[in-house]
Amino acid sequence: MFNLILMVVVFLVSFVIGYLLISRVPPLLHTPLMSMTNAISAVTILGALILFSFPTSLVEKILGSIAVIAATFNVVGGFVITDKMLKLFKEKKKIS
Amino acid sequence: MTLFIDFTVIAILIAGIRQFREPRRAKRGNLTAAFALCLAFVLVLYRHGIVDVGPVALSLLAGAVAGYALARFVDMLQVPAMIAFQHGVGGVAAFLVSFVELTRTIQALNLVSEISGVLGLIIGSLTFSGSMIASAKLANKMRPAPRFLPFHNYLVFSNLAALAAVGIATFFASAGVAFCFYILEILLGTCFGLLLAIRIGGADMPVLISSLNAMAGFAAALCGMVIENQLLIAFGATVAASGSILTYVMCKAMNRKISRVIFPSYKSRQAVPENKSETTVSSIQPVQVRRESHDATDGFTGAVSIMRAAESVIIVPGYGMALAKAQQEVAALAGELTAMGKDVKYAIHPVAGRMPGHMNVLLAEAGVEYDMLVEMDVINNDFHATDLVLVIGACDVVNPAAAEVEGTPISGMPILMAYQAKKVVCCNFDRSPGYSGVVNPLFEQPNTIFLEGDARKTVHRLLQLLTGDTAPQETLIPVFAADATDEAVRILASAKSVVVLPGYGMALAKAQFKLVELTALLEKRGASVKYAIHPVAGRMPGHMNVLLAEADVEYENLLEMDEVNPLFAETDVAMVIGACDVVNPAAREKEGTPISGMPILLAQDARHIIVCNFDDKPGYSGVPNKLYENKKTVMILGDARETMTNLVAALQNFKV
Repeated sequence: MFNLILMVVVFLVSFVIGYLLISRVPPLLHTPLMSMTNAISAVTILGALILFSFPTSLVEKILGSIAVIAATFNVVGGFVITDKMLKLFKEKKKIS
Repeated sequence: MTLFIDFTVIAILIAGIRQFREPRRAKRGNLTAAFALCLAFVLVLYRHGIVDVGPVALSLLAGAVAGYALARFVDMLQVPAMIAFQHGVGGVAAFLVSFVELTRTIQALNLVSEISGVLGLIIGSLTFSGSMIASAKLANKMRPAPRFLPFHNYLVFSNLAALAAVGIATFFASAGVAFCFYILEILLGTCFGLLLAIRIGGADMPVLISSLNAMAGFAAALCGMVIENQLLIAFGATVAASGSILTYVMCKAMNRKISRVIFPSYKSRQAVPENKSETTVSSIQPVQVRRESHDATDGFTGAVSIMRAAESVIIVPGYGMALAKAQQEVAALAGELTAMGKDVKYAIHPVAGRMPGHMNVLLAEAGVEYDMLVEMDVINNDFHATDLVLVIGACDVVNPAAAEVEGTPISGMPILMAYQAKKVVCCNFDRSPGYSGVVNPLFEQPNTIFLEGDARKTVHRLLQLLTGDTAPQETLIPVFAADATDEAVRILASAKSVVVLPGYGMALAKAQFKLVELTALLEKRGASVKYAIHPVAGRMPGHMNVLLAEADVEYENLLEMDEVNPLFAETDVAMVIGACDVVNPAAREKEGTPISGMPILLAQDARHIIVCNFDDKPGYSGVPNKLYENKKTVMILGDARETMTNLVAALQNFKV
């Protein structure tokens, strides 16, 4: 029971803090934001890893491997694209 | 202690997101978030350990390499499609993890985990299929217009009911039956995602992609519930929050309820796509474009004198700018205006484009500094004091009807108040209404100059006129695609011998099948058609041969370079399809370029040259292609497959 409450609390608190912070992200950065959160959503990679912390059957091995590949693809691709995108955003050099 | 470490990692993630509030620090924010994810990764490895190191390491490597490679090659135009694709892949990971956790017998799951697992299956699989559809639509691999199946709403609701029924049934089923039910849930979820996504199209795309973002987050959080892992839950929840915010912002900016986007009414949308398809078709109908390009000259002169006189200029970009790939030209024009001492800003409507912040990314890529990009609420105070507003491919977001007329689909939608400016210059493709279907009175205002046609060419022309560099207009402004198609058809119709020169661009556009249709048509008209195959055309040895063979071209007609080169002088038409470097005369004529001395196909020897390439940029070598400037050359820019389709249609209807 404690676990359940803890999980719900963790979810709600993260959601609310995320909500508060992200609603202050300027529209300028919405695409990079989405791209980055896209990478974060591949945190399922942790779940995929944990699958392998027990002995696995062949089917589980195959499905688990696909999950790991998919999640890694998502994480790496997401962060790299975001980085590439953010490098494009340049500030005007102030000449004074 | 465990909890403490978990919360530290979560705090680092949140710190990363927090840095996104400022553009200058966003890059560090991204890296911080990546670091947090790495920490979480190491933590899981340390705590749980891995039994089968081999497959895990291999999979990690494969995924990382693929993700990195794809991310490196993607350009900013493809970003929306790419992000949607990644959402989809993430969805796969989510439902697979839930599935394995649910079915494995090693540890019994408690009820909460089981419920989360079933929800995870559903949300993961619908994220997967929905994102794949979104990605295909955004990449134009699928028609972006909404598609309705018969009884679409009934299908959606019965699918939903089936999901719920099977989901509940799993809890009462024995292990074996439950296993089947889980698979069924995945299939139903996939169907559900499909049904939702195919009827969302066009300008509603930002809402779809944002809500999929939220879904991916929920799927991750649910995974976390299954395995009782705080990190997963927190990370997923943050993403869910972000996606929800973006969905909300997009809906608000379009004045649409989320329910109206997800359950669009068939009737109200029906009238609009009709309209839309006409405007898109007009890009290949020569008549309309040509009629306008004549009387546009006065417009240009007027527009340029207004630009010269204006002291303050606001540029309003829309999706049309993205479609015409005009952002470089727009940035150049803005640069010129700034250099002339004018105050230039960009007004960014929150839903301009196909995803949140789309315009910002495109303009950033074109080198525009972000302090010039001003959001709607701020810039709306400035319009009335502005001398000139330059609208580039935007329609609904500047439509005054939204504020003035009741009962239209956009009534009440916040708009950019472009109509308040002293003068307005619109560089749109045509005057037809935008996605909403509501006629835009701004285009007809007395102080508006409307320059119809492809935005890239229009803006380019404006820039030339502004800088006084008007001389080599013909060479600098490629002929209107429609005109070029006409010209090409005339040449092809009278040709007796045609040599086709395919390149990697053909493969990219998957144009080979349409090409073969075209050549069949030419052969029916009595022309001989051969293919000239350069040894390095394509991405692997013999690539073109394989592709053409797949499209049923007999291999006798595939000629090698040495065989075909002497024939060009006797050839009526050399038709280049998505090839650049392998036909670049600079390889023979210029010293010191990367391709100097490379043997090429001598297309320049033919009597006429038709180039069907995506754009007139240099190929992989970076050397500008002199063939494009040849007087004999007709350039048809754009997707090669579309070009082929147009040529086939035009040739079929061709009358002397």
